[in-house]
Amino acid sequence: MGYAGFVLANLLRNPLRSALTGSAIALAVLLVCLLLTMPAGLDAILTSVASDTRVGVINKSGLVFWMPYSLMRKIRALDDVADAVGMVWFGGAFEEQGKVTFPSFAVEVEHIPNTYPDYKVAPEALAAFARYRDGAIVGRQTMRKYGWKVGERVTLRSNIWNVNLDLRIVGEIPRDSSPIVWINREYLDEALKALGQPGLGIVMIAWVRVPSPDRVNSVMLRIDELTRNTDYETTSQTEKTFFSNFLGSLQGFLQILLMVTALVSLCIVFIAANTASMAVRERSGEIGVLRAIGFRRRTIFATLLAETVVLSWTAGAVGVGLAVIVTRP
Amino acid sequence: MSVDPALAPPVILLHRVSRLYRRGVDEIHALENCSLRVERGRFVAFMGPSGSGKSTLLNLVSGIDRPTSGEVWVAGQELNVLTEDELARWRARHVGLIFQFFNLVPVLSARDNVALPLLLTRFSRSERQRRAEIALRVVGLEQRLPYLPRTLSGGEQQRVAIARAIVSDPDLIVADEPTGDLDARNAESVLGLLRRLSAEFGKTIVMVTHDPRALRFVDEVFHLDKGILLEGEEAERAGAAMRVAAGGGLMGDAPVSARSPGPAAPPSV
Repeated sequence: MGYAGFVLANLLRNPLRSALTGSAIALAVLLVCLLLTMPAGLDAILTSVASDTRVGVINKSGLVFWMPYSLMRKIRALDDVADAVGMVWFGGAFEEQGKVTFPSFAVEVEHIPNTYPDYKVAPEALAAFARYRDGAIVGRQTMRKYGWKVGERVTLRSNIWNVNLDLRIVGEIPRDSSPIVWINREYLDEALKALGQPGLGIVMIAWVRVPSPDRVNSVMLRIDELTRNTDYETTSQTEKTFFSNFLGSLQGFLQILLMVTALVSLCIVFIAANTASMAVRERSGEIGVLRAIGFRRRTIFATLLAETVVLSWTAGAVGVGLAVIVTRP
Repeated sequence: MSVDPALAPPVILLHRVSRLYRRGVDEIHALENCSLRVERGRFVAFMGPSGSGKSTLLNLVSGIDRPTSGEVWVAGQELNVLTEDELARWRARHVGLIFQFFNLVPVLSARDNVALPLLLTRFSRSERQRRAEIALRVVGLEQRLPYLPRTLSGGEQQRVAIARAIVSDPDLIVADEPTGDLDARNAESVLGLLRRLSAEFGKTIVMVTHDPRALRFVDEVFHLDKGILLEGEEAERAGAAMRVAAGGGLMGDAPVSARSPGPAAPPSV
């Protein structure tokens, strides 16, 4: 037996306690890793879902203040606009409880392919979307969540338009993290008219694709210029800015969450430290004997420290490993 | 050329040693003006009632404690001049300790417990193991090498502790109530083993004990009372009382120290 064997034997003196202390440390490390990677994770999500050549246009007063549908034609007529699609929040709920669990928009079907080429929706799906007025294209996340398949029919009840739409799923947005559901604007328009309501004369948000990033600022300026001094003055942002502002509204909540998690991690560290010091206190007699037979203070301290280091590094490695698994895209 | 034992320096030499403890405003004289010498190869016992200063004396000769005044010389080294770390190193090389409650490391096998002090040496792992096995053979436990302390009897555990004390071949073995936690048969066995270490291997052993059986095994007994080393008639009286306690003088006839060492002179080193 050498010093390593001595340290290991002491570490395995109470395997259950070592395992529990190690688990506490691993959990604390996992939480800290998740905390530290959260901003980078959000940024990665933004980068994966948002484009810097797509511009979002909304009413300057806020998302709930709409814009006339005629604005879409004017936007598409501008130079450097590859295409633009107007969207209206449908707010479709699938299950009995009537809760909205995914974002659903009524969109101008014919303008989707050129505005969202980066979504890589299958051409046959886009063709079917154009062909069937009741067609819907659904993000893969929502498809998986409800076990939906292409060709299946689902009924969504709108919580703001007071209408139920029977939809045929004609394709999916092939992104694992996409929850979006697109439905045909004209289908909703007809459904509302059939109920004796005026049709959709509005858009809630316009997504505009610009061929190159260096033209984006000029396009945004010209769109906002179009609506200056009207009842529906607009504000334009790149898709990335738009989503980061949207996430920004969650920042307060996120910060509280981060603080609580940090405090929980700190508590776990204190508990682990207390357990380690208890383990040492229990052995004070034994440490006295080591001292008596000639072990120097620093040698005894080094063996105790080595025990703690082996335990905490092993547990830390497990924590980091778990964090890698949990945060793997 | 052999050295005349009379001229060889003693293993232990105490010169006017006192140890004073302060507890608040109270002063406790654990040991007062104590002088003694123990020659190489002797097996001696310190006896006396609780609080008489036996353990203090043992702590001083093993370098665990320091005197308030006086000089402590062990194996030719004055201990007062050593720092804490130097004392620890010195203990590892020159003193083997045996405790009442064995104090083995519960997670180490008998062999690893015995090899523990050798971690402080430069011996290779195989050499450490070899020496530990020899020490365990000396105490008759060569069949128990891989056993953990909890699987051994009290007597066997104390034998492992004795093997640990001798494994580094120290000049002095210090035993604090080595039979205090053992039954009569095991106590006799342990005392016999210590006697053999002294007689056959020339080990110097000092032992604190209350056990009157020890009188049959030791070369000399020092009696202490209230921090004072008894001498002359007082020592004789204490010795007689101890022999009576041991069975009316039938059991023990170890000479009670009736020497009058006076102020011992430090050895020339």
